[in-house]
Amino acid sequence: MKIFVNGKEVEINENERNLLEALKNVGIEIPNLCYLSETSIYGACRMCLVELDGQITTSCTLKPYEGMRIKTSTPEIYEIRRGILELILASHNRDCTTCDRNGSCKLQRYAEEFGIRRVRFQNIEKPAVKDDSSPIIRDNSKCILCGDCIRVCEEVQGVGVIEFAGRGFNSQVATAFDTPLGKTECVFCGQCVANCPTGALTMKNDVDELYRALESEKIVVGMIAPAVRAAIQEELGMNEDLALAERLAAFLRTIGFSKVFDVSFAADLVAYEEAHEFYERLKNNERLPQFTSCCPAWVKFVEQFYPEYIDNLSTVKSPQQALGAIVKKIYSRKLGVNPDDIFLVSFMPCTAKKFESEREEHKGDVDLVLTTKELAQVIKSSGVNLKKMTPEPFDRPYGISSQGGLAFGKAGGVLGCVVSVLDEEIGVVKEEVREINKGVNLVEIELKDGTSFKALGIFGLGNAKDILENIDDKDISIIEVMACNFGCVGGGGQPYPNDSSVRKQRAKILKDTVGIKTLLTPVENYYMIKLYQEDLKDEKLKHEVLHTNYKPRRRVEETEFEILPVPDEDKIKVKVCLGTSCYSKGSYNILEKVVDYVKKEDMEGKIEVVGTFCTENCGASPNVVVNDKLISDATFEKVLKELEKNVKR
Amino acid sequence: MERSFQKVEEILKKHQYRKENLIRILLEVQKEYRYIPEDVVNYIGVAMGIPPAKIYGVATFYSQFSLKPKGKYAIQICDGTACHMEGSVPLMKAIEEEIGIKPGEVTTDLLFSLDQVGCLGACALAPVMVINEEVYGNLTPEKVKEILKQLKERDDSDV
Repeated sequence: MKIFVNGKEVEINENERNLLEALKNVGIEIPNLCYLSETSIYGACRMCLVELDGQITTSCTLKPYEGMRIKTSTPEIYEIRRGILELILASHNRDCTTCDRNGSCKLQRYAEEFGIRRVRFQNIEKPAVKDDSSPIIRDNSKCILCGDCIRVCEEVQGVGVIEFAGRGFNSQVATAFDTPLGKTECVFCGQCVANCPTGALTMKNDVDELYRALESEKIVVGMIAPAVRAAIQEELGMNEDLALAERLAAFLRTIGFSKVFDVSFAADLVAYEEAHEFYERLKNNERLPQFTSCCPAWVKFVEQFYPEYIDNLSTVKSPQQALGAIVKKIYSRKLGVNPDDIFLVSFMPCTAKKFESEREEHKGDVDLVLTTKELAQVIKSSGVNLKKMTPEPFDRPYGISSQGGLAFGKAGGVLGCVVSVLDEEIGVVKEEVREINKGVNLVEIELKDGTSFKALGIFGLGNAKDILENIDDKDISIIEVMACNFGCVGGGGQPYPNDSSVRKQRAKILKDTVGIKTLLTPVENYYMIKLYQEDLKDEKLKHEVLHTNYKPRRRVEETEFEILPVPDEDKIKVKVCLGTSCYSKGSYNILEKVVDYVKKEDMEGKIEVVGTFCTENCGASPNVVVNDKLISDATFEKVLKELEKNVKR
Repeated sequence: MERSFQKVEEILKKHQYRKENLIRILLEVQKEYRYIPEDVVNYIGVAMGIPPAKIYGVATFYSQFSLKPKGKYAIQICDGTACHMEGSVPLMKAIEEEIGIKPGEVTTDLLFSLDQVGCLGACALAPVMVINEEVYGNLTPEKVKEILKQLKERDDSDV
């Protein structure tokens, strides 16, 4: 399609989403603060103005057409953009030097590019929420209300934990009732952080804890995730470098790490274990489709929103937690030290991994999780030029990995690796991959033993939600889900900018790094096999080290909802669960009947009725609790029986 | 005291759990409870499949909605220009003396709540206050105290 830009004829692609994207693809980047190609178009910041037939209009909402004549930079547009920036800055917390986004903030960049040296308007501070209750730090004094975080959370991730609250100048991005993020349904994927143009949403910074550990008597051990090595060069002014992981290992040793292991080793292990788990389930036709469980945001998502699918999650730990348990439970014994004397630091592309390491089941295995961004800070502040660091291999025995394990860093990696194990152990005769939607790949697989099945590789929790809501193909037997678009390379702990084009580039770098690995599949990983043969012989220990469990998770904090309250201490208490699972299975009808019964039998004042939001037993919903007795798969008749028993007493 | 929880489900049913009816649902919930309680927001979220944050967003956008309990007698005291000139500030002082609350607060027994509003559109009667839907005009601090006393007595005789 031909259009005229600033008087010059320009050829743009057909079917571009809007003028803004079309121009970007021909080398004209229109300034904008609220446009994301992955979400719906908002058109609020007014920075992306262009002139069309003498009218000034937003290019994000403009569909290109043949012969269209536009101007992208006129004195008038320049003045308007400057004005917008000044207005935003007038109510913006401008503590740039102490801001986590200093140097990577889009607003700061535009203020510089537009030469804003003074703001004409009076500075007005807004009352602003600050929230450091989770791996994601919120500071609304730096929020410009672009709404990118809200749209990513709702549209891309299907979570919707934040929304605009209030109106006018007092508008803020808020959780329901301003609950701290750590106590909400947030899955900590960090995609809001990845897409925030300013410092309003940032990742928690725990670098100080690393230095405290390095100062202590403890043995500091590090481990590096696959996706870190495909992104950290962006922060360090380096080009693509296939020896980056080995340079990182060398660097970490210089600052006091005793050992540096490769998380890809654990990825081999996890895929190997998961492939066997899957084959068992497939043979027995149970708990299918199996869901991968490497992504902690996805795991929390299932626990909260789809508790009925908890048994489908693979019980194999994520590579981070598997290696954590190995280091603390097996490696410590080899060294002859107390596990508490080892301080294990995990370098991850992910904000949710910080949450994962603190889950009750894993506590104490991984002591500190630092993101790619934090690792970059450690390197930069040391003054070391990583480029000049001679690469050194990872430490044995957890230092080698196959192509499959390393590929965990990008979407499709886990599934691919599991299939490669199946190929080694059983034999794959057919494997066909096709993309059915952006972020959803369907793989058809036929094994040598005659079984055939389908697999899905999904990125984006919103995509996963759509699939779960409409899953009707019984042949789909295994599903890989990565919460972040393009997988871990697009994690919430990666450097800024963290948009689709950067993520694709990282995926390419990782693919190249994978390509030069000598070992193809986990089965070839000598150290992994040795671990199984020597250290994991005991089934009980193997289970403890490699497997975990999940539980339904409340979406909201426990609150009791008074329905027929009784102030007396001496009473029979009926608690009906009205959480998602129970509600959808008709718990409300039970509630209604219980209330009718109490009224009809004239038991008001003796039987108290309350609602609750989760009894954390969603697998057997609906749930009702009479005094302390939990009635699962409840019916009114069951509840009545229990009630009558109590009444007699 | 029975909280009319079942009403929420009735309201939802009446509006067929449809997302586009959210504002009407919230209005009816508020009428029932005199405010929009947090647990009801969570319940509506579950029943309608809307994130609670979204409902919170709607409820905080419109000044019509209140997320704090209102008193049985919800007093709105006008502090628009005309009322202000005619002495709305002494009225607020009188209210505080009589029932001990400032604008934005509710008495502990949930009998009264007080809100200060911009203009009630009854400037000829300034200073003005509205209790529930009844308008009281040409007020003095003494009159205000008398009205509140009567409401308290009325409530006592109800019980």
